[in-house]
Formats: sequence, C-alpha cells, structure tokens
Amino acid sequence: MSDLAIKTVNLTKRYSGLWSKQPVDAVKNLNLEVHRGEIFGFLGPNGAGKTTTIKVLLGIIYPTDGEAYVLGKPAGDPKNHHKISYLPENPYFYDYMTGREILTFYARLFGIAEPQRSKRVNELLERVGLSRAADQPLRTYSKGMQQRIGLAQCLLNDPELLILDEPTAGLDPIAHIDIRDMILDLRNQGKTLFISSHQLSDVERVCDRVAILNRGVMVQLGRIEELLAGGHVELIADKVPDNAVEPIKQLGGKVSLHDGRLIVEQPDNGTVDRVIDIVRSAGGHIISVKPYRRTLEDLFVETIQGGKNA
Amino acid sequence: MNATFAIAGATFGEAVRKRILMVILLVALLIILISPAFEPFAAGRGARTLIISFGFGVIQLAGTFIAIIMCTGMIPTEIERRTIYTILSKPVQRYQFVLGKFFGAVGTLAFMYLMMGIVFLIASRLALGSFDPQIVKGLIMFFFQSSLLAAVVLFFSTFVSPLVNYFLSGGVFLMGNLLSSFLETIQRNPDVHPITRIPVQLLTVVLPNFANFNVQNPIINPEQVLTDEVAYLVQTIAYAIVYMALLIVASMLIFNQREM
Repeated sequence: MSDLAIKTVNLTKRYSGLWSKQPVDAVKNLNLEVHRGEIFGFLGPNGAGKTTTIKVLLGIIYPTDGEAYVLGKPAGDPKNHHKISYLPENPYFYDYMTGREILTFYARLFGIAEPQRSKRVNELLERVGLSRAADQPLRTYSKGMQQRIGLAQCLLNDPELLILDEPTAGLDPIAHIDIRDMILDLRNQGKTLFISSHQLSDVERVCDRVAILNRGVMVQLGRIEELLAGGHVELIADKVPDNAVEPIKQLGGKVSLHDGRLIVEQPDNGTVDRVIDIVRSAGGHIISVKPYRRTLEDLFVETIQGGKNA
Repeated sequence: MNATFAIAGATFGEAVRKRILMVILLVALLIILISPAFEPFAAGRGARTLIISFGFGVIQLAGTFIAIIMCTGMIPTEIERRTIYTILSKPVQRYQFVLGKFFGAVGTLAFMYLMMGIVFLIASRLALGSFDPQIVKGLIMFFFQSSLLAAVVLFFSTFVSPLVNYFLSGGVFLMGNLLSSFLETIQRNPDVHPITRIPVQLLTVVLPNFANFNVQNPIINPEQVLTDEVAYLVQTIAYAIVYMALLIVASMLIFNQREM
C-alpha cells in the first residue's frame, strides 16, 4: 500500500473556450505528494487553481496533461470513492430534505444497507450535534448547521481521506471552533485531511504541511514550522541618547527612531540582550520587548505579493 | 442500482415540490374538472368527443409543459448548486446519475398523470354516465409521449443551457408532431423537389415521432379505423421505450465526458 494519499505528477488543467483566443492554465505542472495520516493545507488566492485541483482529484473534471492518483489509484475512479469524502465550499444540499433524510440519501449512495444505515446516520447526527434538529428541513438550518451536516455526510463511509474545501468559511466563532475541533479529532483518528482554506490561522493551527498555489503554479511547499521559521523580536526604548544609537545599529537588525522612541527589530534573542544592556547603560528606558513569530499570513502575503512583483 | 434509485427518489422529491410544476398540475386538474360544463355546446356523440378530446388536450399540454420545465434544469441546476459534486464524489458512476435523473423524471410524470387521470375519469364518468376505456389508453399513450419528451430534454440538458434547451426541445416536440403528416403530404405530391423531400424524410426518421401518441385524433376523426389497435399501442410504446433508451445512452456518453 502506497504511503501517499494524494500524488500528482505534472498535473495540468487547461481551459480553452470555443471562442477564446488564449487558453488558460488553471493548474500548471503541479507535483504534489500528500502523505497518509497528515493534515495538508492547500492554499492560494482566489483563482489560484485549488478547486480545479480538487475537482481533478475527485474525477469531476479531467486533467489536460499529467497524472493524479488518490490512495494509490488513478483520480476519479468511483470504486475508490468508498474511501474518500468531499465537502465542497458553501455546500448546498436538497433543502426540502431533513438532516436525517439527506444523510440517509448519501448513505444509500455509499451502498450502506439497513439497519447499519440508520445506526450510522443517528451516530453522525449525534456526533455533529444535530440530533435535535435531525427532523427539520435543511432550509431551516443555519450556515453552521449546514456545514455540520456537510461534515457528517463526509464521515458516513468512515473515509481514509477527507477533502475539505473551505470548511470553516462564513461560520460564527462557536461553529468555527466546533468544526476546527472536529478536524483535529479526525487527525487523532489517523485520517488524512486535504484542506483548502483562506482561514490561514486555522490552517496554521491544524495542518502539518502546506502548499501555496498562485496562478496555477505551486510556489511554496513544506512543513509549517519550517516555512514559518524566523520571526523577530521588537524592542521599544525611550530616552536613548544619540551616542547609544550607533553601537545598537552596529549590532545589525532594523533600527528606527519615531517621536524620540527607538524601535529595534532583531532576528534573535541574544542580540536583543545586548541592545537592552546598551540602552540601560546609556540611561535609556526599555518600554517593551515583544517577540514576533512569523505567521502563515505573513508567508502567504510575501509569497503571493512576491509573485505579483516578479 | 441502489444509488440510481436514491438519485431518482431525490429527483422525484424535488420535482413534486417545485411550485411551477404544481401550479401547472393544479390548473390542469381544475380545467379537467370543469370540462363537463362544455357538454351543452355539443349533443349526443358530439358531447362525448368534445369532453374527451378537450380533457386529452389539457392533459397533453400539461404533460408537455411539465416534462420540459422539469427536465431543462435537471442537470445544469445540480452543477450550478454544486450538489453534483457531493454526489459524484461518492461511489456513483456518471451513468447512474443520468439514469437516476431520468427515472426520477418519469416517476414524477407518472405521478402527475395519475393525478390528472383520476380527476379526468371521475369528471367524464359524472358527465357521460360511464367510464370510457379510451381515456385509460389515451393516458398511457400521453404518459409515454411525455416520457419520451423528458428523455429528449434530458439529452439536451447534458450539453446546452436551460434557455437553449427550452427552444430546442420545444422545436423537436413540435416537429415530431408535425413531420409525419408533412411527409405524407409530400409523398402524395410527386412534384415536390428532392431538396425538400429528402431533408423531411431524414428528419422524420431521426426525430422522435410524437404524433403516433396523439390518440385523440381517432376520437375527433372516427372515420380513421385502426385494424389492430392493440398492436398499434404496443408498437408505439415499444418505439418510445427504444427511443428513450437510445437517448439515455447518448446522454450518458456525453455526460461522461462533461466537465463541471
């Protein structure tokens, strides 16, 4: 058994309309490997090619070039779909059905027979906290409840791989935390999760590795802690005499003066200690010392804006 | 097959909740119910002909509208709302989806025809004093006509937008009703140029012949006598089933290549 849940080799998806002169590469030469048991964040601005890639992985569209494999088999093989699940962005379900009916419908698509079907549906309604609303039509559900039912339909088949497109978008903070906790719970069960999201703080918190896509091309790939290595410490001091500024500048980092206040950005704590010594010995006052960790948002903005400027 | 029937069930459930379809059904039921009121306009056999052909006309019109309105958006709406993504990401083959949609449409038509048929039978019984077996035959034939039309609309919905589909399917239905008569006229006239005759012959073969299902014609024109009515009905129904099967297979092949 392959230890890869998803693999793409030079995956390209090109759209060329009947009348359009210029074909557009929605995804270009994408080489991606997602390991079993990991949570993989698939990021990128709107139109980067994330949903296109997901559609190829699910067999909803076909690649123009290259190959895509899901759980060791060619992408789109419906026989493989017993082991995978998908939650689309802003999912819409047949809203005349109740929560219980929609789960029963999807369970039938998975070929789950009675009495296991009813048992599984009840278990999942309980698990996503919708037991009390199980017999209400979906049109009366809030966005958070719709998202929960979406996640429940993903879990009907106890999948090995879950592909979630914007699972927390547009949710209130409580529903947001609930869904995030469910995702973490799934990781603890050893599931592989492939998450496309703009909620970068969530991705940073739950994902093991991320890839950033821009204009169809993968521009970043790696473990979160490696990609976010770095950061800096910001020190703000007051009443620092001019003669102390020069030795601080010589230590490197970024030094600036604003309204008589000295602001120093140093890449590591060791240099910061020396800046503090200089400020104090010169009679200055330390106002604050604040470590700034590099966030996924910083990385995302740098990557995408860097791409734009390139 | 479980997945196919699950999709068919969902399609039926959604269709019978569509307000526009329910409005068409209710209006049709109301008109059928009041059709005996036209009795004073004709006498004797004329009254029977008037009531039955009027009822058939209403049922055929309602069935045609229901088939076209129900099926034009059947696949495009699923794509637009993205419900299709959650379905095709399950162990569901694309052909099962198309088949499920078609079965759901036919099930809805069967339900609609059953409703209209019951009301028509009651209304005609009250007006004419007896059940006319022509009504049941007519209902069956119109049901197959509408089902064939539903297959045509579903076929087009796999590759054209709903708006284009309205015109295409409406055009095919109209031509399918008129072409055979037109061809008969042309064949009776030896002066017709082959440039006119050949395309008409070709279209008559390719397009579904909806005119065969119009059982009200013998009611209005009783001089047209069928030598073997049962054989005619069986042949016409068999024609509908074979044509529907061909259309659904073609729909599956197109939908299998379709990108969403």
